[in-house]
Amino acid sequence: MTTEEKIKQWCPQAETETAGETVVHVPADRLEDVCRRLHDDAEEPMDYLRDLVGVDQGEGCLSTYYQLESSRTGSRVMLRADAVEREGRATLPSVSGLWKTAEIKEREAYDFLGILFTGNPDMRRLFLREDWNGYPLRKDYDMDSNPLDMGNEENADVTEEFRLMPDGTLERRENVVFNPDDFVVNIGPQHPSTHGALRLRTSLDGETVKKIDPVLGYIHRGIEKLSESLTYPQTLAFTDRLDYLSAHQNRHALCMCIERAAGIEISERAQYIRTIMDELQRVASHLLFYSCLVMDMGALTPFFYGFREREMILDIFEETTGGRLIQNYNMIGGVQADIHPDFVRKVNAFTKHMREIIHEYHEIFTDSVIARTRLKGVGKLSREEAISLGATGGTGRATGWSNDVRKRHPYALYDKVDFKEIIYTHGDSWDRYMVRMDEILESCHIIDQLIDNIPAGEFRVKVKPVLKLPEGVFTASVESSRGEFGVFLMSRGDKSPWRLHFRSTGLPLVHTMDTVCRNGKIADLIAIGGTLDFVIPDIDR
Amino acid sequence: MNSFTKYVKRYWRSTKSLVGGLRISIKVFFRKKVTEQYPENRHTTLYVPERHRAMLEMPHDAENRHHCIACGLCQMACPNGTIRVVSEMREDAEGKKKRVLVRYEYDLGACMFCQLCVNACPHGAIRFTNEFENAVFEREKLHLVLNHEGSTLAPPAAKKENPVNA
Amino acid sequence: MEQSFLDYYSLEPVTRWIHDTLCGVMPEGWAVFLEGLVLGVVILLAYAVLAVVLIYMERRVCGAFQCRIGPNRVGGKGGLLQVPADVLKILTKEIIRLKNSDHLLYELAPYLVILASVISFSCLPWHKGAGVLDMEVGILFVLAASSIGILGILLAGWSSNSKYTIIGAVRSGAMLVSYELSLGITVLTVVILSGTMSISGIVESQADGWNIFKGHIITLVAFVIYLISGNAEANRGPFDLAEAEQELTAGYHTEYSGMHFGFFYLAEYLNLFITSGIAATLFLGGWMPLHVAGLDGFNAVMDYIPGIVWFLGKTFFVVFLLMWIRWTYPRLRIDQVLNLEWKYLMPLSLLLMLIMVVLKVYGLVF
Repeated sequence: MTTEEKIKQWCPQAETETAGETVVHVPADRLEDVCRRLHDDAEEPMDYLRDLVGVDQGEGCLSTYYQLESSRTGSRVMLRADAVEREGRATLPSVSGLWKTAEIKEREAYDFLGILFTGNPDMRRLFLREDWNGYPLRKDYDMDSNPLDMGNEENADVTEEFRLMPDGTLERRENVVFNPDDFVVNIGPQHPSTHGALRLRTSLDGETVKKIDPVLGYIHRGIEKLSESLTYPQTLAFTDRLDYLSAHQNRHALCMCIERAAGIEISERAQYIRTIMDELQRVASHLLFYSCLVMDMGALTPFFYGFREREMILDIFEETTGGRLIQNYNMIGGVQADIHPDFVRKVNAFTKHMREIIHEYHEIFTDSVIARTRLKGVGKLSREEAISLGATGGTGRATGWSNDVRKRHPYALYDKVDFKEIIYTHGDSWDRYMVRMDEILESCHIIDQLIDNIPAGEFRVKVKPVLKLPEGVFTASVESSRGEFGVFLMSRGDKSPWRLHFRSTGLPLVHTMDTVCRNGKIADLIAIGGTLDFVIPDIDR
Repeated sequence: MNSFTKYVKRYWRSTKSLVGGLRISIKVFFRKKVTEQYPENRHTTLYVPERHRAMLEMPHDAENRHHCIACGLCQMACPNGTIRVVSEMREDAEGKKKRVLVRYEYDLGACMFCQLCVNACPHGAIRFTNEFENAVFEREKLHLVLNHEGSTLAPPAAKKENPVNA
Repeated sequence: MEQSFLDYYSLEPVTRWIHDTLCGVMPEGWAVFLEGLVLGVVILLAYAVLAVVLIYMERRVCGAFQCRIGPNRVGGKGGLLQVPADVLKILTKEIIRLKNSDHLLYELAPYLVILASVISFSCLPWHKGAGVLDMEVGILFVLAASSIGILGILLAGWSSNSKYTIIGAVRSGAMLVSYELSLGITVLTVVILSGTMSISGIVESQADGWNIFKGHIITLVAFVIYLISGNAEANRGPFDLAEAEQELTAGYHTEYSGMHFGFFYLAEYLNLFITSGIAATLFLGGWMPLHVAGLDGFNAVMDYIPGIVWFLGKTFFVVFLLMWIRWTYPRLRIDQVLNLEWKYLMPLSLLLMLIMVVLKVYGLVF
């Protein structure tokens, strides 16, 4: 029995929409029940909430799309629920009791669309200022309603929670984040090791961390809103600026999604190039991860080792793509330009060099007793917690959760190459670190299999200059350098998307901070932040 | 006694691991340095790959002619509104009305180097160059006009096809 | 022969002659005052010059460890004027007065830190007969004087009225108090070996061989322990928890600007020099030349090299060792720092001292 049939059985009112990808439309009052049954299903528990996307369907209809995946079988299902109006506000029942990651994702939907999730303990705004007017992703949002405010933003120490009473009314309660006598330190937004403008309000007891409340949105650029007024090729340029250390993979995901929707088949040569570039990008990102982690832990010398080798990759990128950090390489239908004549030789030289030099990284840092004692057993995350929090990528794989999209839902050439999914089981900082270090070599292994066999052919198929996608919902996901990066694209048959949403890899990771850092030391907090490896522009889209 | 031997063993292992670190760092100490001495190496070892996108340019030939027909496709392709093509209708010698480029305005400060304009151009009239030293003190200096003073349209025979659209 | 050259270089006759001449023209009190004044100026000058040299050295050495060149533009090819230029810059910076801070203590703190390091600096045996502050319990005096610096750090952290600085200050308090122990014990080990607490006496006692060779492996291990705890005392990586840039932005001196910050910075580098200088004195024979028993010709040649060259050479060698350590390891966590001291270094140094006493009593040292 497929998952859709099961849902139909539990809830006969459910309708299936098949424009684009299959979506099961569930009425709001049955949502909680259906989600619980899916989550607790015996054979195929849908225990991983990939993403939660709020959409304004127009004509006052707000809805939320839930993308679920089973960590056991890897099967996926997408639900849709339309918000119900109560006391003048659009409401939906919260699913944060089932999937912890919903806590923060529902806040995002609330922030941008004003959907109130009843039962979510934290209904503050996530990215925007607390005194913001209106909900910007609604189609009727007035762009002039929020003039630039240079005033100070006061952060409330309490959160709002709304409960749905049996008689259909809403009851408002307050949950306390910090007590007045808590010693709260602002780590960020300007701080050497938050890797960008992230602010962690941290309450301390001496050196020990008691609670962390992340405050986001300092560099939010409204990319999702911007995309709604741009053509499909124009939206591509933003993806490189999300997680700039996974620029290739992000753009790969969006290109793949658009190609899927438009029914474009790309050449095998382009597939090879994309896969190799993705893996080079992953190595570059993991090298930077190493550099940043060692610097966060106070060792400045190995920091430069990582940068030394990363520079070689950036040089290779620049020769072929014309960009070092922002490459603009993947295009709808293929890639921007053919590989540079020196590409194959240089990539071969790089993988050889990387294998020879990586022992230095290990001898100076990994083997050092200081690094071991600082990372081992610190910031533990269990497999169940990781799945519930949606902490994908190296963080999830360090807990024993096999979540590699390349293995579970292969795209490009990943079903043709031989590679291991690196899994560790303790879920501590050390395992998160080792997953990445091992993946460097694994990625080199993938590159080696492809680089000498790039088939001849065109690097880009012809695409209509003005691209209109058929109506429907389309998704794509790739394994970016730090987790599952997903694209949710809703088209109304126009030349620009109705709604374009990116699954941020970093948002669940920042949400994880509070769980893993409790009872650690301040120094642990910094090291855990380093091993979780989030990139802020990816969170603040 | 067992815990004491453990203690001594741990002592020894830790010391060994720390000495290993010292060994690597002193090896690198004597190795050749990787620093690139920019700007001294500007004319010697500095290597900027040909495809590097630093600044939009409209190539002109020896007779001060370009290939831009002022169709405005680049302006439409630009996500940031970086390009503004100012054109006017002029009568040529045969009395046919023709669109002619007056000013090709480009705001380097707003450009995000996505290459959509170059891809969109049907005649290869614009391209990205390697001149990356574009820092200026005033924002106004980033507003550039790409067509030269008094330039004209090259005859169709000299037109190049855009390699991307080919 | 050997002794005569050492005597030839000795500064004692010169200083005595100056003192006698001055006493001839003025009362002795005035003469001592004048000498003190001149010496004070000389020490402060040497202090400043050495700080510049050390900062330059740190930046070059650290560059080399990190596969890069380091400062090489300002002032010719070697970048020699980089640090003086930075000093000029920092002198022109505004010293910011913080609202809601304890102004008196806030401004006193950098001076306390610099005072402590100048006093300990004055105790270094530069040359034969050139120890400025030389007393019978000289080495104890150095330990006592350098501890005043901790007070400055604590005051700086507390009076700035900032959460980051207070965490930094408390960390440094906990750390320095602990490491003072193993530092003191290793110093005592050498005192036992040399049989004196006077700094010049310790140097003199190494005329027939440096302490590091005299005490079998005991003094070698003591030397390493001294370096580790001295590094911690100087608040340098991997023990720079009090500053811990990545955690506390700049720790106890987060809120300082201009030359007040400069004082902390200066003191950090001079404490590095003092730690190395004391290490050179205690273990490497201070200004004593290298002598190898049985090689008289070699020994004579070594004697030609003046003591100050020996002293500076040894000190900078130790400084390099400390920089090597700093630019290799990640920072320790606060509980590891305390573990290392109380579980590993302290017991070991106590053991070393005990063995040293036994060796000394039975006359088993060289």
